[in-house]
Amino acid sequence: MAIALEIKDLVKKYKDFEAVAGLSFSVGEGEIFALVGPNGVGKSTTLKMTATILTPTAGSISVFGRDTTRDAHAVREMISYLPEEAGAYKNLTGREYLDFMAMVFLKDRARAAAAVAEGERLSGLGARLGEKIKTYSKGMARKLLLARAVMIKPRLAILDEPTSGLDIVNAYEIRKTIKQLAAGGMTFLISSHNMAEIEFLSGRIAVINKGKLLACDTPAALKAKFATADLEEVFIKLTQ
Amino acid sequence: MNIFFILLKKEMKELVTRQLLFTIAVTLLVFHVIGKSVGSHNKSSAARNTIVLLDLDRSELSKRVIAAVTAGKTTLKPAGEATIAAALAAPENAGENSFMVIPAGLEAEVTAGRASSIEYYSRFRKQASGLGPAIAASRIRRTEQAATAEISAYLLGRGLPSLAPAFLRDPAPAKEFAVIDGRTAQVSLSQVIGFIQSQSFFFPVAVFFIVILSAQMIMTAVASEKENKTLETLLSSPLDRRLLVMSKLAASCLIATALSGAYMLGMRSFMAGVTGLGADPSVAVAAAGPALAALGLTMTSSGYFLIGLSVLFCILCALSIAFILGILSEDVKSIQTMMTPLMMPLMLAYLLPIFIDMSTAHAGLKFLLYAIPFTHAFMAPQNVMMGNISQVWWGIAYQAAVFAAFVTLAARLFSGDALLTLRLKWPGMK
Repeated sequence: MAIALEIKDLVKKYKDFEAVAGLSFSVGEGEIFALVGPNGVGKSTTLKMTATILTPTAGSISVFGRDTTRDAHAVREMISYLPEEAGAYKNLTGREYLDFMAMVFLKDRARAAAAVAEGERLSGLGARLGEKIKTYSKGMARKLLLARAVMIKPRLAILDEPTSGLDIVNAYEIRKTIKQLAAGGMTFLISSHNMAEIEFLSGRIAVINKGKLLACDTPAALKAKFATADLEEVFIKLTQ
Repeated sequence: MNIFFILLKKEMKELVTRQLLFTIAVTLLVFHVIGKSVGSHNKSSAARNTIVLLDLDRSELSKRVIAAVTAGKTTLKPAGEATIAAALAAPENAGENSFMVIPAGLEAEVTAGRASSIEYYSRFRKQASGLGPAIAASRIRRTEQAATAEISAYLLGRGLPSLAPAFLRDPAPAKEFAVIDGRTAQVSLSQVIGFIQSQSFFFPVAVFFIVILSAQMIMTAVASEKENKTLETLLSSPLDRRLLVMSKLAASCLIATALSGAYMLGMRSFMAGVTGLGADPSVAVAAAGPALAALGLTMTSSGYFLIGLSVLFCILCALSIAFILGILSEDVKSIQTMMTPLMMPLMLAYLLPIFIDMSTAHAGLKFLLYAIPFTHAFMAPQNVMMGNISQVWWGIAYQAAVFAAFVTLAARLFSGDALLTLRLKWPGMK
């Protein structure tokens, strides 16, 4: 399996505060890799650095062999990032939003049209795509945003809390979509607090606390290592 | 406690923040600075209460007229030249703006029952602004009234009741002349000042409105993208970040231009109603006769182009500064407070030239005002009308340099972590 993402000795400091303190791991192509950890331990900062919108203080991140600092533009051609609790342009319709984003990422009419068709299918919003986003429920907006993130077929999709705040049905649909896309070869780097979701989705997980990597393995291996049937228990044992 | 007061207390706690108090303090400071500057400037203007006098009659009547005028606290400075042209050109009168000419034969003419006239010349400086010309005009008007009253009293004292009452009321009607950049035309002073002020008052109001509007738009655009995290999505896209900056600036500029166009049309109608001069300045010139045109108080198409260019760069400067303030804003709610660093120079640049004559202002004050890029746009119409074309071009060049500096800074902030991590900290903020 080819290496999609390689993070080495990653450090991010905000003045005196060290948000990420020497993180290292790698993700294989087509893998769903999850970052888990308590609030404020550097998960979102790591995702933002991978998405090239923050610069590492030290260490390196490479996406399919391209460095996110030195070769940011090439990395941006291969990734798609969905921030936690992201919004959309409320005065656009769902379809207009997908159109706009497809052109921003693909810059080619024909490719953008194909991506929008895929986005419309993935969102499952049907006729509601013709309505303004401000009329959408939280679940509808999140499905639209996830569709936007993956419709361009990025080689690496970075999703921060993809199902945060969603009801069971909407969260389930989103997880199912991620699984299907990963089966098609798309690589995912996600962060989540939801252990059931992590166990359902991820091939491997990295547990981090205070910016440091505590463990990195498959859910089954971690549960075996800590002699428990519950991933939440693994998490608590590691972080306390 | 009454539930209303509990709710009121909660609302006040939400509204009265340290940022709001800081904004109020800064606003008070700006008005204090303006008040002090205008006060000291007016004192020094009042001290220059001099009219250059050419007494070509040298009669008993002219002496009485001079005595009457000086009794009104106006200083008359003898010209020492034989003609008004020589007096205007004389180096010792270079700083003088008001001239009075008592014609030869005044006493003989009015005593014989024939109307004569005293001439008043007002020089408008190229860089004059503020209330200076209006103050000078009121001084001339006081002088005219004192001279007319004295000549009437002289004739009545000589016992010439056979003369017509209308003649006795005003035996030597004043003739007013305006001098601008070496050109002289006989025209009512109030018409000249009315015309100049209609341009220099109406125009800055419109520019002020455009700048505030466009600045608020771009700050809201940047802050709401940050708040909704749509910006993070765009930043992770393969788009050139300079394009993101330029597209936001261009969109705000276009909307501000459209809105300001509508606003200026409304203001033109309003000013036409208030001044009665007509909405079109060229109509105003026609109404005032060819005199205003002879003084060069008309706007050519190249003049309009220059003003438009100055306003455009003024808006661009404001947009680039507002863009940076938007980057520093925590969220959309904080925009009102974040406008303060832009409002301070804008208010100074807008208000001070209305009250202060830039041609005679203190060097430090001039430096402060010309360092503010908005001042150049506020002053552009007056400078164009007065033929100060090079000053307008220098102003535009300075505005372009300021714009380039702030856009470069905005693009740098947009390219780095600062966009997501930098916050402007107000006093007392955690």
